[in-house]
Amino acid sequence: MKKDVVLSIDHLSKKFGKFEALKDVSFDVNKGEVFGFIGPNGAGKSTTIRILLGILKASGGTATVFGQDVWKDSVSIHKRLAYVPGDVYLWPNLSGGEIIDLLLKLGGAKHSARTDELIKQFKLDPTKKARAYSKGNRQKVALIAAFSTDSDFYIFDEPTSGLDPLNEEIFQQNVLKLKQEGKSVLLSSHILSEVEKMCDRIGIIREGQIIETGSLDEMRHLTRTVIRVTTSEQLSELHNQPGVHGVESGTKTNEVTFSVDSEYLDNVMKYLAGKGITALQSTPPTLEDLFMRYYNANGKQVKEVGSHD
Amino acid sequence: MTNLFAKTGFLARFYFKKDRNKLIIWAVVLLMLMVSIAYKFGDLYGSQKQIQAIMPTLRSKSMVSLFGTLGYPASLHIQTANVFAQEMVIFMAIITVIMNFGLAVSGSRGQEDNGVIEMIRAKMVGKIAPLAASAIEIIIINLILGVLYGAGIQAANMAESDTNGDWLLGLSMAAVGIMFGVFGLLMAQIADHSNNAMILSYFGFAIAYVVRMATDVTNPDYTWWSPIGWLEKTSPYHGNNWLPVVWMIVLTIILLGLTFYLNLHRDLGSGIISSRPGRQRASATLMGPVTLLMRLERTTIIAWILGSLMLGASYGSIYNSIGDILKTNPTMQQVFGKAAVDSANQGLVLNFSATIAIVIAVVATIPAIQIMLKLKSDESKGWLELINSKPVSRIKMVCSYSAVAMVTGIITWLVGIGTLFLVGNSTLKSSQQIDGAKILATIWTYIPAILVMMAIAMLIIGWLPRFASFVWLYTAAGFVIMYMGGLLKLPDWTKNVIPFGWVNKVPVKNIDWSVFTWMLVLFVGLMIIGWIGYRKRDFQTD
Repeated sequence: MKKDVVLSIDHLSKKFGKFEALKDVSFDVNKGEVFGFIGPNGAGKSTTIRILLGILKASGGTATVFGQDVWKDSVSIHKRLAYVPGDVYLWPNLSGGEIIDLLLKLGGAKHSARTDELIKQFKLDPTKKARAYSKGNRQKVALIAAFSTDSDFYIFDEPTSGLDPLNEEIFQQNVLKLKQEGKSVLLSSHILSEVEKMCDRIGIIREGQIIETGSLDEMRHLTRTVIRVTTSEQLSELHNQPGVHGVESGTKTNEVTFSVDSEYLDNVMKYLAGKGITALQSTPPTLEDLFMRYYNANGKQVKEVGSHD
Repeated sequence: MTNLFAKTGFLARFYFKKDRNKLIIWAVVLLMLMVSIAYKFGDLYGSQKQIQAIMPTLRSKSMVSLFGTLGYPASLHIQTANVFAQEMVIFMAIITVIMNFGLAVSGSRGQEDNGVIEMIRAKMVGKIAPLAASAIEIIIINLILGVLYGAGIQAANMAESDTNGDWLLGLSMAAVGIMFGVFGLLMAQIADHSNNAMILSYFGFAIAYVVRMATDVTNPDYTWWSPIGWLEKTSPYHGNNWLPVVWMIVLTIILLGLTFYLNLHRDLGSGIISSRPGRQRASATLMGPVTLLMRLERTTIIAWILGSLMLGASYGSIYNSIGDILKTNPTMQQVFGKAAVDSANQGLVLNFSATIAIVIAVVATIPAIQIMLKLKSDESKGWLELINSKPVSRIKMVCSYSAVAMVTGIITWLVGIGTLFLVGNSTLKSSQQIDGAKILATIWTYIPAILVMMAIAMLIIGWLPRFASFVWLYTAAGFVIMYMGGLLKLPDWTKNVIPFGWVNKVPVKNIDWSVFTWMLVLFVGLMIIGWIGYRKRDFQTD
């Protein structure tokens, strides 16, 4: 094992009876890195994470955290790990404050000034019984317990799905703080702006398979840049250029909007330059575009508006 | 929304659909019990000789305290149907009440706890429609059962049974079920959580039951004070008195009105008794799975221990009226001498103690199994996911839950059986008292039986977690076998189905230490096998 790899997953698979929840999942999370784990509901994100926690037993493949087997050595792994589940269920009769303290004690930690600070930041009322908490407040309880634990590896499973934008911001600040401290984070999400903002690398999972991993920059080449251009000459041949999609005329004369596959960008720019560019605006691909390309139903080609005619 | 009851019918149909498996299992079990026993009674107690043999037992204080008395005069020419009614009425009522509390509390407060009612109420649904639908579900299932009882008992055609009595028995059972079901709904308005609603419901039932027992043993006229006692006052196949059924209906209507009133005058999610706000910080004692479990279950644990105490005290308090040979036959002392009478009296007391010991042992088993099964239900509810991500091993979880279950079961047992003997002996003359050795033998004998029951729960949690609740069916079957086996003349082997049947009948007989030892070994073995399954399986959240 390389020294700087915190999590290593190799051809992990998981079957529930006949259903194959995970077919082939492999990726690494390096030390000091925030890794975004994205995919739609039911793609296998939570199943993967539960295997990493030793809650589920893998059907095949291996997964190690800190170089230790996630199933056999779960207890010793958990000493250096913090986790926030996607659906936080709390004992209805305990108050949030009691649960935070209990979780800290179970991990051998203590309620600290940092805990109080987090409770204040997230604006949690710790005296309320857990049954009275909304989903967002239950998530806050788990987040406060996780952030006030001094761990080496943090796993967040869709942690902000119930939080309001203010608390989401606080969550992001705290993750960035962990990153500055050199901690490693696995962040599963389907909120792309969140992942885009925080993650060094991402892995995309669909139907139990990792279909792409890499940095956001590396992935951008897989997607299309949207270009709005106004030229002095007519662009009648534009839609026949390789890699060009969805050509639409704008409101002004000779103004068009289209998207272009990143690898053909050079070609297209040369073509446009020959037509006399008067205005040009390019929008970098967002994770949204990436996502949409990978997640269209059943993996078929995305149906595009006015595609390649 | 002006119509408070809008969509009640639709919801009621939906509830039936949602609960159909539960309802079918309950209905089949209850019907089988009632009707198959009615059929069997023709063989068991068909002849006068058989009836004469059982009557002294049925009229004994211990049986009256357990099953009640239907007020048949001594002069009545007792027939098969009378014996049947005498044995079945209170027994079936207990099981019926358990079913109805479950339906009522989980259907109303339980659904409110998990947010379903909130979703329903957001629709075009009347304010009390969900509650009314629960009430309708309870009324209909009990009426169906009542009619099937009536028809089934009539078809069994026991000697001296009459149509009036058959249907009175069946429909009074429906009425008692509806009455306690609605009481459960009322408690679900008062408590703000289904656990608390369940505890309040059983507390109310326990009071009714204890009042019935105490009055039955001392003076049955006062049994009118207990709603459960009304059932006895119907006196099927003798008086065929429908008045108590009318009383039950009246009380049901009052309770239902109160329930609707409270429901309309409270906020969704709150109760009349509301929980206090919690602590800001955990106390120093809340530090791990064991203390967590004790903190969460303390009300349940205390309730069981108190219940067991009450049970022991109330059965103990009638010890002096059991050995009443002198009262019934004053010449006996002159004929046999004082010592012989004392020993005959003590024989009766010992037999009584042996019967009650099993009841208390089963009662002590319930919280032990309940806490053991929490290892599975907490997992299903997702409460353990956070613990499982902490450095807490699976063996530690198993040990924590089983330790709390074991200690609770044993304490409940010790308190119940200890109170029974303590109070019992205090009512007896010193020459008739049960000595310490016999008491200790009784205490030791049932501890491994309670533990084995708990270990069976662990075994299922480890290997067949989805069937965890079948342990309850097994416990219930065991209870029927031990409680009714003798009266039903079940074959002896049936007692071997359940650990309570493996032990000697203490304190009449002495403790068998070899049985004691191998049952403890079995307990440890089952726990280990259960743990092996638990260790290697997936954890699942529903």
